Amino acid sequence: MRRAGAGVLALASLAVLPAGAGVRAAAPAPALEVVATSTDLKALVEAVGGDRVRVDSLAAPLHDPHAIEVKPAQLARLKTAALLVRVGLDHEPWLRRALLTLGASAPGGARDLDLSRSVALLQTETPRLRADVAAHVHGFGNPHYWLDPENARPMTAAIAAALAGLAPAERAHFEARRDRFLERLDAGLARWHGALARHRGARLVTMHDAWTYFAARFGLLIAATVEPTPGVPPSPAALGGLVERMRATHVRVLVAEPYADPSLVRSVAARSGARAVTLVPSVGGAPEAGDYLALFDVNVARLAAALDAAP
Amino acid sequence: MIDLLALPFLACLVLTGIHAYLGLHVLARGVIFVDLALAQVAALGLTVALLAGHPPASGAAYGYALAFAIAGGLLFAVTRVRRAPIPQEAIIGIVYAVSAALTVLVVDRAPQGAERIKQLLVGSILTVTGGDVATLAALYAAVGVAHWLARGPLLAISLGGDQTGGRRVLVWDALFYASFALVVTSSVQLAGVLLVFAYLVVPAAIAVLLVRGVGARLALGWLVGAVVSAAGLAASYAWDLPTGATVVAAFGVALASAAAALGARASVIAVRAHGLAALRPAAMALAGLVSLMGLALALFPALDHLWLDALERVAPEVQEAFLTPSERAVRRETLESLARGEAQLREMRALQQDVQWGTRTLDAERQERLRQFLAGRGELTAGDRLVLRTLRSKARERQRYWIGVPLALAGAGGALVLARRRR
Repeated sequence: MRRAGAGVLALASLAVLPAGAGVRAAAPAPALEVVATSTDLKALVEAVGGDRVRVDSLAAPLHDPHAIEVKPAQLARLKTAALLVRVGLDHEPWLRRALLTLGASAPGGARDLDLSRSVALLQTETPRLRADVAAHVHGFGNPHYWLDPENARPMTAAIAAALAGLAPAERAHFEARRDRFLERLDAGLARWHGALARHRGARLVTMHDAWTYFAARFGLLIAATVEPTPGVPPSPAALGGLVERMRATHVRVLVAEPYADPSLVRSVAARSGARAVTLVPSVGGAPEAGDYLALFDVNVARLAAALDAAP
Repeated sequence: MIDLLALPFLACLVLTGIHAYLGLHVLARGVIFVDLALAQVAALGLTVALLAGHPPASGAAYGYALAFAIAGGLLFAVTRVRRAPIPQEAIIGIVYAVSAALTVLVVDRAPQGAERIKQLLVGSILTVTGGDVATLAALYAAVGVAHWLARGPLLAISLGGDQTGGRRVLVWDALFYASFALVVTSSVQLAGVLLVFAYLVVPAAIAVLLVRGVGARLALGWLVGAVVSAAGLAASYAWDLPTGATVVAAFGVALASAAAALGARASVIAVRAHGLAALRPAAMALAGLVSLMGLALALFPALDHLWLDALERVAPEVQEAFLTPSERAVRRETLESLARGEAQLREMRALQQDVQWGTRTLDAERQERLRQFLAGRGELTAGDRLVLRTLRSKARERQRYWIGVPLALAGAGGALVLARRRR
């Protein structure tokens, strides 16, 4: 009974929005409450929505996105949110239960934006029956698609469309902000391609398989992954074979996330002679990676420095 | 293999040296989970250090972890002397649960904390450095010397129970738990919680099972620790398994074999004394188990029957006898196609790896064709597996009457006959 009441309230508040927008001259419409599952999506929603949205990220930047424990206040925010923006695929297994808990008042339909539907995914051919290929945590394609800056185009388009659907009067505003963001993105892409141009075709080894999209965009090749299943350290034979191949093929750079096991990173780097570089997988993962464009500025600068310095 | 596993093996020997000894104390005192509790308290200290802004591998982080663990150890020393109406194991459990919960609360505020805690549990024995092992060896040698000097009172308190009481015992207990906290904190950073627990309890437990006297038990504990470490590391290399977890599993196997050997010896002695009748309870249990397995097959043929799978793997005739000639032909063909497909998959995956590493080159179009071939071939292999499973379930439908029912009846009959003979 109470749930149904809350649902009606939420619907009522939605219905009020367009009406309120009509009298904007008198008082500005209240900001749209948006919940994003990661800081990257939060940054993109803010880039499009500006001061017309208030965005919360459910996950902190460096927490394991697969293992989030939703807190009561977040659940309450999710319940009243005008829009939920998520990575989709099987990246947020905890979200389904949180939404089930909310029942009828959970964001759904137009209030639930799954951004994985707006981009072209990589590594989707993972055998569903797990024939005998090494275990792979991503059953529906690699979900780290926000690490290709070109994907920001379709992602922000989907966000702008969803926001405009909720506040039609603001459509022009969202579109204009998105255009400005894309201009800055284009400038950034020119900058990043320039910084990495000399290293096209360079081979990298990564700790986890989070960098597939990033590498594909900048013409880098990922030769292997140290920990195919995150959290399960490689066996001695796998590690020995990997280090040997890294030495034989002169792989010069090992890409690690801030939360990678430091002793494993140190050991692989020391035995293979590669240089370890820490790249930030999410906005806010390093102090200087404060928004979506800064995230790539930081990562490209670090990677280019490592590739330049490596023998 | 040797160059990769030499340092981990040395690290295992250092761990064996101190933990087999401390394990004897822990077993005698009956405070088995004190190790897990102190490790958890140390993890809490580590996360508090992260929250305070220290990097996880720094000296400050180690200091926090050590201070927390020693405080926990002193708490255990105090609660032992006071003869509280609750057993000490309860206090140890409470400390474990509360500090684990506090860790979750702190981790929630600290960046990248959860990953650290997971890594602490798994450990990284495979990637230890020479410096790590040397530091640890020096530290544990010092702890060992201190325990040697204080062996009189320490052993008396551990082995004799707390009959003496008083302030003197409290001081020695405080010394014991403080050194224990030091060892646990240092070991866990290197090898992970599970491995450290295995080193502490299993060698000592096997030694206590098999021999008497502190000196003999210590020697056997060291021997067991060294042999099982070597076996675990070798197995991890040979079968391509994560190292820490494999060594822990090897300790489990070692303890189970020791227990089985003791059980076998006891039954041999019993048979000598009372004749074959001494084996009747075991035979009854076996007959009962056989009866249950048959009953399960007869009632639920679609369930997983692992014993039957294993039997069919050794002797495929067990399944083929229950298939029609055409089904048998399909099965043989599928098996051949599966073997061919897997060989092809292995070959093509190796080619794909070579391309990824750049040791062989393919143009873009042929790379794409290779990718699509692998995806398609993988699905075909999965399809072959599905055919085999379907045939197996057909065979199961017939086996339920021809194997399940007879086994159930024979097992039950055997158990009844054995039970009646007793009277």
